[in-house]
Amino acid sequence: MSTTLPSIACLGVIGRNNNPLHISIFNSYDPSTNSFRPVRTPLQFSLLLSSTLDIFELRSRAHAAQGTGLTGDFGLLHAVDEKLAAYGFETNTGVKFVVVVDMRGRRASTAAAGVGEDGKKSSAVGTTGVGLREGEMRVVFKAMQAAYIRLMQNPFYDPDEHSPLTGPGKKITSRRFGEEMRKIGEGWVPGVTSL
Amino acid sequence: MDEYPAGSLDHSVPFLLTLGTSGDPTYQSGLSAVLKEQAILIRSELPPLDSDQAHALLRYIQNRDASNLPCNGRDAPKKHRFHVKTAERVGGRFRANVYLVQDRDLMFMCIPSQYSYRLAARASQMDLVPSVLLCFYTLTSDPTLATLNDNKIKTDVNNIRALLSQSGYKTRLAVVLLSDKTSASGDHVQDRLESLRRGCGIDAKSLFLVPPGDSKEELERMAENMLTTLYTASLDYYRDLGRHSRKKRGRGVAPQPTVPPTSGTSQTLSLAGWNVRYDFKSAVFAEYRQEMDVALRSYEQAYENLLSSELMEVIPSWSPRWNEARFLADVLAVRCLRCLLWNGQHSAAARRWQSHRERIADFLDRRGRGTGNYGWEAWESRWALLMANLMEKASIPELAPVTHKLYLQPEKNVMGERLQPWEFLHHTGYWYRLSAKHMQARRDFAHAIPEDDRRSPSMSPASFVAKSAFAYDTYMCPDPFEEYPLHRGGFDHGRFVVERLMKARSEFLKREQVRLAAEVSLECARELGLAEEWSGIVKLLRPLWKDLPFRTVEPEYVLMAGSRLRCVDFVAAFQKRPNWEYDITKALDQIDTESKPIVSLADGQVLPFIWTSFLFREEEGKAGQNVRSQLTIKSNAHQGSTPVSLTSLYLNFSGSLDRVVIEHDDAVAVQEKRGNTSISSVPLTRDDAEAEVTDLGATNKSVILQGAADLTLAPGQTLVFNLEIPLREPGETEAQSLVVNLDTEEFDLHHELKFHQTPKTNFWYLSGSATKRIARPNPLAIKVQPRPPKLEIKCPVWKDQYYTDEAIVLEFELTNGEDIEALAKLDATLFGENPPAFTVDIAGHESQTSSSSRSEESKLIGAPLGTIESSKTSSVQLRLPPVDRSSQYDLTLKVTYFLPTNPGTPITQTTTFQLNIVNPFEANYDLLPRVHPDPWPSLFDADGVRSAAPDDDVPLAFKGLSQSWCLLTRYASFASEPLRVVDIDVVLSSLPSVRCHAIKHNNLPSSGEGRLVAPKTIEEAAFALKAQKASLDERGPSPLDVSLVIKWSRPEVSDQINSTTLPVPRFNLFGTEPRVLATVSHMFTPHPLVVLTVYIENASNHLLTFGLTMEPSDEFAFSGPKQTSLSLLPVQRRGVEYRLVPFDDLGEVGRWVGVGLVVRDKYYQKVLRVVPGGEGVRGTKEGGVEVWIPGRGGGGGGGWEGGVRGLKRVMV
Repeated sequence: MSTTLPSIACLGVIGRNNNPLHISIFNSYDPSTNSFRPVRTPLQFSLLLSSTLDIFELRSRAHAAQGTGLTGDFGLLHAVDEKLAAYGFETNTGVKFVVVVDMRGRRASTAAAGVGEDGKKSSAVGTTGVGLREGEMRVVFKAMQAAYIRLMQNPFYDPDEHSPLTGPGKKITSRRFGEEMRKIGEGWVPGVTSL
Repeated sequence: MDEYPAGSLDHSVPFLLTLGTSGDPTYQSGLSAVLKEQAILIRSELPPLDSDQAHALLRYIQNRDASNLPCNGRDAPKKHRFHVKTAERVGGRFRANVYLVQDRDLMFMCIPSQYSYRLAARASQMDLVPSVLLCFYTLTSDPTLATLNDNKIKTDVNNIRALLSQSGYKTRLAVVLLSDKTSASGDHVQDRLESLRRGCGIDAKSLFLVPPGDSKEELERMAENMLTTLYTASLDYYRDLGRHSRKKRGRGVAPQPTVPPTSGTSQTLSLAGWNVRYDFKSAVFAEYRQEMDVALRSYEQAYENLLSSELMEVIPSWSPRWNEARFLADVLAVRCLRCLLWNGQHSAAARRWQSHRERIADFLDRRGRGTGNYGWEAWESRWALLMANLMEKASIPELAPVTHKLYLQPEKNVMGERLQPWEFLHHTGYWYRLSAKHMQARRDFAHAIPEDDRRSPSMSPASFVAKSAFAYDTYMCPDPFEEYPLHRGGFDHGRFVVERLMKARSEFLKREQVRLAAEVSLECARELGLAEEWSGIVKLLRPLWKDLPFRTVEPEYVLMAGSRLRCVDFVAAFQKRPNWEYDITKALDQIDTESKPIVSLADGQVLPFIWTSFLFREEEGKAGQNVRSQLTIKSNAHQGSTPVSLTSLYLNFSGSLDRVVIEHDDAVAVQEKRGNTSISSVPLTRDDAEAEVTDLGATNKSVILQGAADLTLAPGQTLVFNLEIPLREPGETEAQSLVVNLDTEEFDLHHELKFHQTPKTNFWYLSGSATKRIARPNPLAIKVQPRPPKLEIKCPVWKDQYYTDEAIVLEFELTNGEDIEALAKLDATLFGENPPAFTVDIAGHESQTSSSSRSEESKLIGAPLGTIESSKTSSVQLRLPPVDRSSQYDLTLKVTYFLPTNPGTPITQTTTFQLNIVNPFEANYDLLPRVHPDPWPSLFDADGVRSAAPDDDVPLAFKGLSQSWCLLTRYASFASEPLRVVDIDVVLSSLPSVRCHAIKHNNLPSSGEGRLVAPKTIEEAAFALKAQKASLDERGPSPLDVSLVIKWSRPEVSDQINSTTLPVPRFNLFGTEPRVLATVSHMFTPHPLVVLTVYIENASNHLLTFGLTMEPSDEFAFSGPKQTSLSLLPVQRRGVEYRLVPFDDLGEVGRWVGVGLVVRDKYYQKVLRVVPGGEGVRGTKEGGVEVWIPGRGGGGGGGWEGGVRGLKRVMV
């Protein structure tokens, strides 16, 4: 039961015009076969990221009306079921980062160190595994933003080419960026403070 | 929730049963025959109440039924919640039958018994036992029958009570008495009520009296109070029951079985089992009382006990009781969830939902058949659906669609904890989707069932049956041979998936989650695709295909949808099929159509096989010129397809360009062909049938330019058409779309293709091989400059001001500056406040009068001007009738003309003139009294006074008092130029009993030529008025209305005389008050001598006495009474004369000298004002009188003038 921990199942970077820029998919632990593989197909993840755009729009409207949301952290966007949940962040230039968390994507033994420091673990874990605190995803977004900024610093990267006003733009092809995403996605465990 | 037995999951609401009136719908106990046998029939022997009041009361009570209210605690201030039912009515004397279930043990059986399902079911079938039985009776007011009826009621109530107690239930009994028509006296009724109460043995709180004839509001208030009181009683009832079961649990021993345990499968119940039962009971009772915290605690306790090692853990999974226990656990969990939702603990509810799921999964994995089978997925699907249903019943306002919230924030007490994201309670759409997902998983499992198990048991060998009997988890779902039978359709998973997905989709749409809804639609379509419901798919996906804005960004989704949909592979086949004849004209070959179908496709609906682009050669053009343009179409069809002969192409523009139609014509030769590209120039002709050049009134929008070309299009071929399009109206024009028409014998296809602006399309074909790039941002658009109109509108004589009461004639000249003649028409609009209708005269045409469609507009449209030759002038006269008020109008003249060289292009010239119409004159007025020279008639002269009888034919002889006045008018011209005033007159109108006439004195030449009056100078005119009353008896004041008429003309147009009428304020003549008038006459005996005559008029019916005092003065000597008293008879005028001789030499001019004359009414001691009654006398500000002493120069001319001015000063 409580032998599973949350892990990142998918990282998505979405451009200003809601065009997908980058999608990384990670393996999750599958208890039935005791193996690691992605929980969904790439198309399903792509649809999942697309569905979060609705929420970005809804929230932005609410934020604009109330004058809140200046940090860009949208927190929990929604949970599609008891396993997968999407968290979002929007930069000032309208680029969106989405983290899809698999709440049972990791075996506890492999990441015991991440939870060990959390004293209240037993009360919160309950029977269904470790939950997440508010703002726990901030560290992931920070790392993603840092990676994205490094990408922007590349003089050969033209942001306008990637988010043109009409039509689909280019995707991010930088290997380094992909590598960094991979590092973030695999390195994150609940409670980690820097990536 | 429907899969669980009826009532097992329902919210418990106290049950109120009414008896004694009939209403809709009646209560059907719905008992099975077995239960009916054991039930007790409660009946009332009295006839039912049929009065309107009883029905109204019952209806009200029924309307307050709370069983369908949302299950949440927010309506807590609600005073009562009842589930109301009305006893059924059976004919004859028995007015109502109620069945009470007698077998109490049936109510709460627990697991070991065969009734375990019923345990839960019965919890809500507490519905069978009302908490309150409300009986309706009539309170007879007839004294002779009162006692008899009261006794009948007593007997009836006691009978019912006896029946109730026989059943063993402590149902509360309440009685409503409805008084019949007349109201008995208060005391008497009180006594009767008291006696009834005692006779029936009910307490005062359960007896209600409804007085007769109350208003509706009163009745409702009364019913509301009654329900509130009854609610307390019913809560008591459930509290007693709850206490009872708690007491039993507290004993800590299992009770002796009432039935020996030998019968059937029934077993004795362990203590733990009994405890579950007691906890469950007390929880249900607490729920009835809406003490949700208490209920939750008891439910949780029962749940824990049930899943403990003593109960469920010991049941083997093959036992039927295994499923019963699971069922009971579900029911308990659902009820827990409901309590949590009721209390607003939404995150706790989500967590509870999850924990039950985890525990059952764990339980099944350890002791049951595991979770990898269709039975588990069926349960998971149901469990998610249950949550959605519970949330719907709880109707959580924070999650309502208007809030646009997708999930709720957790409660405060768990805020800081590590929460699962799913524990933020998401809206029902997510739950429905989850349920659908599990339903799909269930189908996958079901399809994996081996064939042997799918065979019906009757057809399988016994060994197989035995083997598979326990291999499948069939908790609340069919056996494998029913779930997915071998040779027929089994459980219809798809239907349920679609149903749930559609529910989810509507929830997502309500919250503007369009993308998620679209995703769900796709899932749904896939599901429908399995069921081969193509039309449903098209209906579902069509909007996505058409409308979604992100389609261009995320095309792979739509591609996926498209590849799923075999029904829409219309033209755009994704892969080339071998051995297939690609010919669009044969698209419907294998399809039978009733009539010839007409297919209209909008842009973007399907992938077209024709690619098209359009270019204007120039960026700008002028109206009236032609512009070169190029239309390109290219076929992207498969190589080897049959060439298509398009029937026609429609080229549509926004703005004012005409539609271009290119028809197919084989005969037209292609001008240049090179490789796959052929270029041809298409001459365009105007379609004469629709474009009537001469009909200028019609709108010319329907003009079509037609051309013909060979439209046969082979695969990969490009057709280029050079077009010369005439530009007509100025403005921005853009090529919008091309409609490709293909009419075959089998179908008509109209496909609209929009032009898109991409760099790839900006190539102009110079020849078949050479192209030139058009480097303009938007070559689809052209800016049409207006053709400058050269027809001028002029008004040679335009004046700044026009005057009221003057017929205005405006002359306009239209000069044709074009090189050729122009066919023109004129629109004239007069805009302002209430503009007059005007007339337009055009030489050689009939004059036309404007019409006013609105109050501020007078309009004449389309007056034909005929042909104006080049550099010739046509004149137009516009006539306005005299306007009576000063006003401002805007006169807009719009000339639209056509040149014969370009008859489709109207050219417009517009000029606006401002028309100021002002009042030429203004005037003010003074009415000065004068002494009438005639003597007053005497009362004593009967013949002279009496007038003839009024009914005679002879005109009325006027014999009453006469008065003389002088009307002094000063008028000034406010015109901007001198005007010739020809005549000035007054028009008098007075009552018929007064005759009045005026004699004018003005300084206009008598020749009638009039006099030029310069602007802003004041001119005077005086009128002597004489008025006489018809009869001497009538002497009261009478009004006089005067208007001044000035006849004038413009100096240059002397023959047109206009008359301006100025209204004069109303004057009052006559009056019965006495009046003193002073007049002077000057004599020049050696010395200037002034004769001052003072007239006193008494028009009243009284004899009046006046005292006259003349003060001596330093300036003059006088002769006449210094002090005298004068008596006047009724209707008499008397005069007193003074002669004044000035002392000093008065010089040349003369001057005004004050006269100390005082006239006093002796009776009232009131000084009367001396009014100047002629020239040479004026009043002073202090109320005195001054007279004019003329100078040596003689004459009174200056004095007259001065007198007038002095008067004016006094009057101001």
